[in-house]
Amino acid sequence: MKIKSLIFPLFTAFVVLLLVSLGGAWQMDLSSFGLEHISVGLKVTALANFFAILIAFSLLTISFLSEKYSLSKSFKLLLYLLTWSMLLIVYASDYLLFFVGWEVMSITTYLLLSYTLSREALIKYIVFAIASAMALLTSIMILYSGADSFLYADAHQAYVALSSTLKVTFVTLMLFALFVKIGVIGFHYWLVDAYTQSHDLFTAFLSAVLSKMAIYALIVFLIIVVDISAMSDLWLSYTLAILGLLSSIIATFKAINEDSMKRLLAYSSIAQLGYIVTVLSFADGVSGALYHSLIHTLVKLLLFINVASIIYVTSKSKFSELGGLIYRMPQSFVLLLVGIIALAGMPPLGGFASKYLIYNTLLEHGNLLILSAMMFSSAAAFLYIYKLIYGIYLGHPTSKKLETIEEVPSIFLIPQYIIAFIVIVLGTFPGIITPYLNSILGELKLKALPLVSATVLGTENGSYNGLIVIVAFALIFALILFALYSLSSNKIREAKDRFDIAYCGEVPNEGTHMHYAFSMGKELRRVGFIGTILRNSSSYFYDFLSRQLFSFAQLLRRIYSGNLSANFNIAAIFILTLLWWSLK
Amino acid sequence: MIIFDLLGMFLSAYIVGFLYYGLYRNITARFQRRIGPTVLQSFFDSIKFFSKKESISHGWMFYLGPVIMATGAVMTLFFIPFFYKSESFSGLSQYGNLFIVLYLMMLGPLGNAMGVGVSGNPFAAMGITRGLTRLFAMELPFYIAVIALMSINHSADIATIAANQSTMNAFAYPLLFIAAMFSFVAMMGQSPFDVVGAPVEVYSGPAAEFSGKFLALLMSQSSIMSFAKLVLMVNLFLGGADGFLELLGKTFVLFFFVIAFGAMYGRFKTPQSVDFLVKVPTAIAVIGLILATLGGQ
Repeated sequence: MKIKSLIFPLFTAFVVLLLVSLGGAWQMDLSSFGLEHISVGLKVTALANFFAILIAFSLLTISFLSEKYSLSKSFKLLLYLLTWSMLLIVYASDYLLFFVGWEVMSITTYLLLSYTLSREALIKYIVFAIASAMALLTSIMILYSGADSFLYADAHQAYVALSSTLKVTFVTLMLFALFVKIGVIGFHYWLVDAYTQSHDLFTAFLSAVLSKMAIYALIVFLIIVVDISAMSDLWLSYTLAILGLLSSIIATFKAINEDSMKRLLAYSSIAQLGYIVTVLSFADGVSGALYHSLIHTLVKLLLFINVASIIYVTSKSKFSELGGLIYRMPQSFVLLLVGIIALAGMPPLGGFASKYLIYNTLLEHGNLLILSAMMFSSAAAFLYIYKLIYGIYLGHPTSKKLETIEEVPSIFLIPQYIIAFIVIVLGTFPGIITPYLNSILGELKLKALPLVSATVLGTENGSYNGLIVIVAFALIFALILFALYSLSSNKIREAKDRFDIAYCGEVPNEGTHMHYAFSMGKELRRVGFIGTILRNSSSYFYDFLSRQLFSFAQLLRRIYSGNLSANFNIAAIFILTLLWWSLK
Repeated sequence: MIIFDLLGMFLSAYIVGFLYYGLYRNITARFQRRIGPTVLQSFFDSIKFFSKKESISHGWMFYLGPVIMATGAVMTLFFIPFFYKSESFSGLSQYGNLFIVLYLMMLGPLGNAMGVGVSGNPFAAMGITRGLTRLFAMELPFYIAVIALMSINHSADIATIAANQSTMNAFAYPLLFIAAMFSFVAMMGQSPFDVVGAPVEVYSGPAAEFSGKFLALLMSQSSIMSFAKLVLMVNLFLGGADGFLELLGKTFVLFFFVIAFGAMYGRFKTPQSVDFLVKVPTAIAVIGLILATLGGQ
């Protein structure tokens, strides 16, 4: 255990805790530097603290594992820089510092990705990152034109002062910038490749906190700037709800069809963030969005660490190359099981609490069709969730090497145990973070959640008691197990080997194709609408766009051919035209 | 005392569930001009299976699979109140609502999927995949109908919805009821949506590897679950019940309809059933939901 690699993450966590406990604000007028009307500031708010804690926790978890990978010093330095840029994003109290943080985040992510990504995937990332940053910058400038201030405090006033055309432009550009980072479907072109090919540790970080920065920015944008609760922007609500919903449905079906573990989880991230985007179409949805952000950060850290440990031990990353590992690594199996139950939003664990808040918000606002479609995509998610655990741990080992493999190193297990513990605690005491959520909601001037007790998660429409659910589950489980055990008088015969199964009267052997993970979900192609989703891809659109750009560039190349005399002629004509125009 | 309450719920569900299962076999036989087994035959079968020795085990997860499945069924039962007026036989329903029931209904199958997966039988895993595929398709019309009811009653509490019906929801909102009934037929594992456990299609589906006490446990949980689902439907659409006789009468009407429906139609393939469920019943449910919300305003 090298403590050296933990010094900086611990320092970061310490700083975050210090900020959380002390609070404070800092603001500076830049007029002394010759920049009139511009002031920048940092402010410790409850919302910022929430995300800062997630960032610090994720960095600690990742750094804890870093000794198993020979990470170069520059990689670690970039990772720390990335963390601090994210802290700048959340603690900034104006859009100027926010943008600085956003840019540093994008660039350091690019550099971190460049260690492992293919050239094509890197170009995809940087093109989208630059487009997102440019859109963000333009929209910030538009907002500045409203009230001559970058501060969040003046932002709503600035937004109201904008003309209606500028309002639409501002909202569209801002949403584009944030949707690219979240990876809303259609804007996710860069995301899946970047997640799949990035360093195994860094993928966890990408999914857990990097995507949450855009969620944070979306909350700030919707609540503080636009003030969506005023309901003057119905089209904005519907855009968010429908795009989020499409994200969750399309990404869920795409995930079912993937053979690579990390690609499946990447699509799963898109789908889960789709729920958050949908619920943010209402101001009251912030509580559900925050709770789901918390659960998603924890669960994705757990799942990506689990997958990383499997890749570390087996050096295989596809379901069709794995399988049957459950009795080789039982601890990893149980941890992944906890993770997927939380991901599926099943009742005994914390995942249900966030789903419950989201569903209740949608029900309260009467968005019934969107709620049904969301529950539908959440039920469809069971298929990819089952594929994840089946492909790795159940079924049959697909190679000899997998039959003799050992449990993953304990250093991978410790952070997973901690996260699993937190998820179980959140399931038992779903109301435990209600006071914290309420302080955020109070700060944003939103309706607070009813405070009942730690074991009860209350909403306007009713509540559920997590402790009763988990205790009842444990008791019934124990009773049935005991009854079954006491009925068995003699020992059950264990299977001789893995071919000792009922197999239609035939006898399977080494050559028989037994691991079902290959074809899981393939059947869905034959269902009309799912087939359409699976056959189509946003890459068609972007390929089309790039082809058009290329032919346009070809056209320009005809005129600006690189020939010196031709260039001189063009320049001469241009200057003459300018002269003529200025003298006119 | 809540313990006796829960015990009473469990025992009545167990007995009625097996009785209905026997009736199902008997009535289906009459539809096919056979005499069929006696009504108590399924009960005897389960007793027999409980006393049999298992032919094989594939390790601890295989052992736990059916246990989780049974736990899911019993949990679902406990969160659905039998009667809307009286406090007794309401189980744990005051600690949760319809959302938790909808999720608990899926907890069992997912747990059992782990036990099935670990057996390594590809046919059983195929059955699970088919089950999960059918699951999301059949939930869609049901969710729409249930969410419409929750919105109409401004509550996600089952007893409130059951009590709040001057005319039964089945007649007040017929389109929602029809859509939910399609899903309900699929939930009960009846034809035309019965490809999951179909013996001829995949070598006996998810239960392929289970024998002896495991099979008995799976049979018991399926009868308990069937009864829980029937009670849920009665609460949501048929005005709930105020006593055991009313409950039995209403559940039997529903149950008989499901059996008759299943006896009449042939079996869909998995993609066909998904395709059908997300089109026809979903369209009916959406129209029903729009009519219901317009009527409410």
